Amino acid sequence: VQTRILAVEDDARIVRALSLALADEGHEVTGTETAEAALEVFDADRFDLVLVDLMLPGMNGFDLCRALRGSSDVPVIVLTARSDTHDVVAGLEAGADDYVTKPFETKELAARIRSLLRRTRSSHPSESERFVVGDLEVVPEAGVVRRDGEAIPLTKTEFFLLCELAEHRGMVLSREQLLERVWGYDYFGDSRLVDAHIRRLRTKVEPDPSNPVIIQTVRGLGYRLGG
Amino acid sequence: MTATEQAPRPARIGGLQNRVTITFAIGGLVLVTVLSLVTYFLAQRYLLGQRERAALRQAFLDARFVRDELEETRAGEAEILRSLVLSPGSEAAVADGARWTATTRTLERSDVPIELRDLVAAGTTAHQRIDFHGRPALVLGVPLVDEGVDYFEFRPMTELASTLEVIRNSLLVAAVAATVAAGLLGRWAARRALRPLNSVSAAAGRMAEGDLRTRLTRESDPDLDRVARSFNSMADALETRIERDARFVSDVTHELRSPLTTLAAANDVLRARVDILPVQARAALELVVAEIDVLRDMVEELLELSRAQAGADPLRLEPVYVGELALQVATRLGDSDFVVDLDRDLDATALLLDKRRVERILTNLIANAQTHGQGITALRVHREDGFVRITIEDRGPGVAGEDHERIFERFARGSRSRRRGEDKGTGLGLALVAEHVRLHGGSVWVDDVPGGPGARFVVELPWIDA
Repeated sequence: VQTRILAVEDDARIVRALSLALADEGHEVTGTETAEAALEVFDADRFDLVLVDLMLPGMNGFDLCRALRGSSDVPVIVLTARSDTHDVVAGLEAGADDYVTKPFETKELAARIRSLLRRTRSSHPSESERFVVGDLEVVPEAGVVRRDGEAIPLTKTEFFLLCELAEHRGMVLSREQLLERVWGYDYFGDSRLVDAHIRRLRTKVEPDPSNPVIIQTVRGLGYRLGG
Repeated sequence: MTATEQAPRPARIGGLQNRVTITFAIGGLVLVTVLSLVTYFLAQRYLLGQRERAALRQAFLDARFVRDELEETRAGEAEILRSLVLSPGSEAAVADGARWTATTRTLERSDVPIELRDLVAAGTTAHQRIDFHGRPALVLGVPLVDEGVDYFEFRPMTELASTLEVIRNSLLVAAVAATVAAGLLGRWAARRALRPLNSVSAAAGRMAEGDLRTRLTRESDPDLDRVARSFNSMADALETRIERDARFVSDVTHELRSPLTTLAAANDVLRARVDILPVQARAALELVVAEIDVLRDMVEELLELSRAQAGADPLRLEPVYVGELALQVATRLGDSDFVVDLDRDLDATALLLDKRRVERILTNLIANAQTHGQGITALRVHREDGFVRITIEDRGPGVAGEDHERIFERFARGSRSRRRGEDKGTGLGLALVAEHVRLHGGSVWVDDVPGGPGARFVVELPWIDA
């Protein structure tokens, strides 16, 4: 099955080269040069994944991520020209699931796409029975988290992160372990990915995100599910 | 920095501060000496004049008494002299032709200077300072013309001499004190005058160490303020310029990223079809592939370097198990047969370091040992006093002495890696190591493996328990 990827990138040559390279991996790439055009195309058609360049003319990549997140949990990978902590973290906090720094190898990008798609397609994380964390009710089969019967919207990445921690409840998982289990590859020690997603997850599930009780930080080691 | 640096002129005695001090001290000494001498001579003249006038008055009275006695009583001269009431210590004598009568035996005619005797004999009252048996004294002569005798009186001047001596000593002490005081004043004034100079030199030193935001505080003194103002505008210009240079490097590398992304992707498409390419095209493609990799690494490292140098990426300290991390990187990159020598301490203790940077330091050093040093032979991590010391040894030809510093500069390919064709490095790896180590406040250097060929890279990072 061909996956359909929307690439939002103002450099037409990069889009052309990407669609050629990703075609070899079995992906069909549609390119748009602006965020505004991307939103139109995205609403009109169905895409399995979106690649977003952070530096776009007009509406920028961060705002596009937020706009996409408002209506969908489609996996988003940002393409950034800078590996500065600031840009990467801002992109992840705007709702992106992952990032690659230009120039990247197709292999690397393809691996990340594959791993994100795998997560999206299997809505069953390793644990399949429903469970309760604090006042949260998690239903893995349905892919939903409820508080007082009301669903909390989580992206797939956030949902998997929560389930991974739940499966090892009471144990500490290091950032590296979480990277490998949730993102699915041996990431070159970039704990920013984990930290940014944990932060987003906390704002959604913690009663008081600045004083987390459900997802606890264990200094120097990693994270642990409490509650 | 380069050719404009001038050697200092031959040093004069001990710097400006000492010269000012000495000048002040000499000035003080001269002034106080002149004043003391004038004071001393004025005091001496005044005191002497006063004493002489008093002595003369007394001598006249005594001479009149002797004359009256001689006229009225016709008593012997010795008897008359005995009845004289002289001031303490004074002696008197009468010269009657060749006869000499004195109040004491020790007083002889020869004690009176001959000129004074002649003057008195000629009928003139006279006096003179003499040395009387080793003591200063005043001798006064009054001619008693009617009686045909000369009256002489000796008055000791020891009291005056000791008064003068006290004055002399006081002035001497005052002169020494004034000289020292002038010297201290000079020192204080010099230090005060040099204070702005010291702050300029301290500020320039801070700038040289890389703190480009150093500025001098403005002074209220217009002369000093001019120095502060021009220093600050120089610092502004320098800072702008360095920032512009850094921004240029970073802009250029940024602009290179888009075409590189296109190249890398197109490259992958070609690589996937390498089998259907003619042999020559295949060989050409291999070259393109290799160079794109180098180009990409170079852009990556240049950006990282310029960001680190601009201070755009602050340290992100987190607990790091250095020994474990070093071993991980070394096993990933190195050959299997190298010595591993890790302190036991390091298994249990995590240090506060920037993990990403430490990993980069280790990766670059070990990769360097692999590409230029014919492989890593030993990895050592030890606890030193306040530091953790990481040592990486290789079996290569070593680094020539003159390259020990230069090898950590950008694109400084050491003599051992001149063969650019085989060299896959970017020329930035060690510069990046140096930059990341510097940010941690540590140090890095290279020397030779003791007793063998091979280079030894040593990194010291501060030991802060996490």
